[in-house]
Amino acid sequence: MAYSELVKNFSRIRDYMREFYVYGFKSRNEFTKKSGRSYDDEKRRLESWLKDYMQFRQTAEGKNVFLSIDTRITKHNPLYKAWKTKSFTEGDITLHFILMDILNSADHPLSFNSIREQIDEYLLDFEEPRFFDESTVRKKLNEYIREGIVVGEMCSKKKVYHAADPAPLLDVDAVHFFSEVAPCGVMGSFLLDKLENHEDHLAFKHHYITDTMDSEILCDIFSAIHGKNEMMLKMMNRHKAQINENTVIPLKVMISVQNGRQYLMAYSFRFRRISAYRIDNIVAVQINEVSDRFDELRAKLEGMLPHIWGVSTQGGSNMRMEHVEFTIRYTEQEQHIPRRLEREKRCGTVEQLDSHSSRFSADVYDASELIPWIRTFLCRITEFSFSNKTLEKQFKEDLEEMYKLYGLEKEENHAFQ
Amino acid sequence: MLFNELYSAYYNTVAALLKQAMDHPLSDSELSEIIHQHAFEESELYIRPALKDQRWQLIQTEGTTCLKKIPSMPLTTLQKQWLKAIGMDVRMRLFTEDTFDFPDVEPLFIPDDILIFDQYSDGDDYQSETYINNFRILLQAIRTHTPLSIVQENKHGQKLTVLIQPDYLEYSQKDDKFRLIGAGSYLGNTINLAGIISCQPIKENPPTDLRKRNPLKLRSVIFELVDQRNALERVLMHFAHFKKRVQKIDVNHYEVTLFYDKEDETEIVIRILSFGPLLKVKAPVHFVNLIKQRLIDQRSCGI
Repeated sequence: MAYSELVKNFSRIRDYMREFYVYGFKSRNEFTKKSGRSYDDEKRRLESWLKDYMQFRQTAEGKNVFLSIDTRITKHNPLYKAWKTKSFTEGDITLHFILMDILNSADHPLSFNSIREQIDEYLLDFEEPRFFDESTVRKKLNEYIREGIVVGEMCSKKKVYHAADPAPLLDVDAVHFFSEVAPCGVMGSFLLDKLENHEDHLAFKHHYITDTMDSEILCDIFSAIHGKNEMMLKMMNRHKAQINENTVIPLKVMISVQNGRQYLMAYSFRFRRISAYRIDNIVAVQINEVSDRFDELRAKLEGMLPHIWGVSTQGGSNMRMEHVEFTIRYTEQEQHIPRRLEREKRCGTVEQLDSHSSRFSADVYDASELIPWIRTFLCRITEFSFSNKTLEKQFKEDLEEMYKLYGLEKEENHAFQ
Repeated sequence: MLFNELYSAYYNTVAALLKQAMDHPLSDSELSEIIHQHAFEESELYIRPALKDQRWQLIQTEGTTCLKKIPSMPLTTLQKQWLKAIGMDVRMRLFTEDTFDFPDVEPLFIPDDILIFDQYSDGDDYQSETYINNFRILLQAIRTHTPLSIVQENKHGQKLTVLIQPDYLEYSQKDDKFRLIGAGSYLGNTINLAGIISCQPIKENPPTDLRKRNPLKLRSVIFELVDQRNALERVLMHFAHFKKRVQKIDVNHYEVTLFYDKEDETEIVIRILSFGPLLKVKAPVHFVNLIKQRLIDQRSCGI
């Protein structure tokens, strides 16, 4: 099939965007899942959509292509462009603009026959006027009713059609803000596309955009949560390169603003417990019947949250709950450090021991989730203790390994120039 | 459905072309310009012939159109659902009193459906009337390029007045805070909104000697990554929002070059430390020394 800049199926491009944006070190030969031609086509598409962000590097293995985006500088998420590439037929686009013009120009609802007659009139001046049969026009009207841009209603036993209410005036800055920070923000980007040229007044720091590719899956998840429906998730196991199916009751979406990942907290029928599912690993979903257990399980999850540091509901030990505590020291001039404990902790308690030291302690399902945070206090940790002794040993060994990495295994005091 | 041609760049481009063609016959150069403005790098290769060959029967040979009204599209149900959802966010009032109450649709999500689990807890108070009022004054001044006089409190509790030419507002979702970025203040280019007591636009006799804003001071750090415990994915996801380069060294070693603003250096140091022995900073020397000093201090704690 001839190359086209547009695509029919988003899932094809989803994996390539992830590879080019998140990883960006693979050469053409390493994209083994798809054929060489498929790689060339997807690369060409991404170059066309995101030319300003595509970069290349020549290595021994070949040319590497990657997307390099500093989201503090780009005020609009460039990956949203991928969602604006849906292919369509020649008839689709012709019919769309004529149909909407007919409905927007009418001062009263129109019958189907009237719409069809007018379509033919619009096309008369073309050399070989296109013909839209009854079924095509009816399908398009029904599609637009489902999308919400056309209203179909009965009038004297006859169905008539009119355009839905015009879009209200929107605050551009508000739409811009939420297009970058709210779930499914691509909807905001679609709205901004319809507005006249405007200046940007907002920028974003610590801004993750990797979730962009998962927007449609997330929409379906929200729909299932809202309807209290069960869902079948098709999950990609990236380590085993296989797809598993899980039937779950979706309960809540947990979002990280420190790594950009999004998780679905859901009750798994197979494992009979509430677990976290990475949304970027979900390849497809199916919304099933309404569950009568939603309210009970949502309440159960809410009760668990004070003991979940990240998203994990089960630790490596056999204990239901794992205890963790550590003590830090600070000087008179470092009063921002105990404040850091307070503002950054997600659960647990902070106890000020004296004017120069504080202790953090928590009981959580999985203490391993705290390790990266605890390490951010390296240089001032005076004590630590984990009820999961395997984890405690690992923490100590990692620290020794870090000393070794920087040649500090024996020397106590280095002076750096 | 989210992936839908109704939202596509091609439909938006054709809408812009039709708008122009309703005003006057569309020239070839206008056609190119509009396509490049609204679509992608290669789009002209597809859109131009489709219109010229009358496969898309919307623009006649002489550049006119049979349409009667400037193309416009009502909001889709999904757009209404999303607007209704964001209308429930407390931050909406910073911008507008509108709550997007479309009675015919349910919100796409409600606040209870979502939890941002690692956001810092001392974020700005978006329900404070003073904060909302200040935010709106700042935003309006940015829109109209009007200098501002801002009264803020320093860390010693003293009131300070600064003059600033506001440029834009920067939001950090991790900190859940807004900062005003501008030029002219002798205290710097950045003002935390939470620290502003009051502000007002300077409409008459605006200051002419405001300092220029310092550009971001970009620095880089190079570290080696060993891909154990899924470190490759965790590290690259964690640092995804920076401009960066990744190079594979051997089967499980990678070299990452990360570009960051100088003012964020301490933050980068602790973020690298959070990965433990799976990352080793290679360069520059001063950054290696920052890591080493932290480890030496840690060792002095007896652990």
